[in-house]
Amino acid sequence: MTGSQHRLASLHDVELATLAATGDRGAFGELVRRHGSAVRGLLRRMGAAPSEADDTAQDAFLAAFEGIAEYRGEGAFAGWVKRIAARQYLRRLQRERRLASLALEAEEADEVQAGPDAAQRIDLDEALKALGAAERLCVTMCYGAGLSHAEAAEALNLPLGTVKSHVKRGLDRLRTRLAPADGAVEGRRGNG
Amino acid sequence: MAELDFERSLERQFADPPYFPDSEAFAQRVESKLNRGWIMRRWMIGCAGVVGGLVGVSQLVMSSVLDRVETVSHGSTKAIEAGIAQVRPSFDLLSLVQSDWAVVWVASALAVVAMGFVLTRVIEEI
Repeated sequence: MTGSQHRLASLHDVELATLAATGDRGAFGELVRRHGSAVRGLLRRMGAAPSEADDTAQDAFLAAFEGIAEYRGEGAFAGWVKRIAARQYLRRLQRERRLASLALEAEEADEVQAGPDAAQRIDLDEALKALGAAERLCVTMCYGAGLSHAEAAEALNLPLGTVKSHVKRGLDRLRTRLAPADGAVEGRRGNG
Repeated sequence: MAELDFERSLERQFADPPYFPDSEAFAQRVESKLNRGWIMRRWMIGCAGVVGGLVGVSQLVMSSVLDRVETVSHGSTKAIEAGIAQVRPSFDLLSLVQSDWAVVWVASALAVVAMGFVLTRVIEEI
């Protein structure tokens, strides 16, 4: 690690964002280093394939650099980039005309399978796979990207009530799958 | 588990990013893409500035503006010369400029090119 990287590593996100706003690409690189995994993880949790998630995350970071002046440090930088990434992913789905079909899939989603054995540990990523595509999108956007129900409805171009019901159904299913292993999940946190 | 507790727990789990062994490579890919974009932008702005400067100079040369400027310059030089002659009859500095007007045009052209560079810099800053 160079001296410059050491110096950047010691700075707060807001300071790095301020430097990035002056065109300091090294400072922005440090932000990518810190939050790249969070953004890539969010996109995969939304249902993106690994390569698609990485491409979208890359585009999201490039868009974030372009609009870095809009970030004023009022919230966490990670949350700000995650919202950009979530919207980029939705735009990608819309462009490829996959969004409408995902929204319909929710109505046909299989009933959740029986909850796992208490001894069996299940993490969030596995639990999300049991959700219908729209439920997964809505829950991840609201709890992972920090969007409100109304913002998610607008981004997904769905009625607010539909988003709320997707979220509720998704939460119920997640609770069924996560609750028995909740203690285990808590204990396992911090693997990244 | 209470609804609120579960939601908080879920938010915490979402905030915990999964581990990616290639996270450094990902960061480097983003950085190199940023650098490439930045270099390309600088080249494009620079080229636009040079082209703009050249177009400006060629327009000036092609138009009759130079002739008019020359006429005005001659007139104003005479007026200034007459004024100076009244104040200091022995002062003959302007005759140096009058001897070769090409110097003035070259200076004007350089000024236009310089303006092109200034414009480039301003656009880059914006």
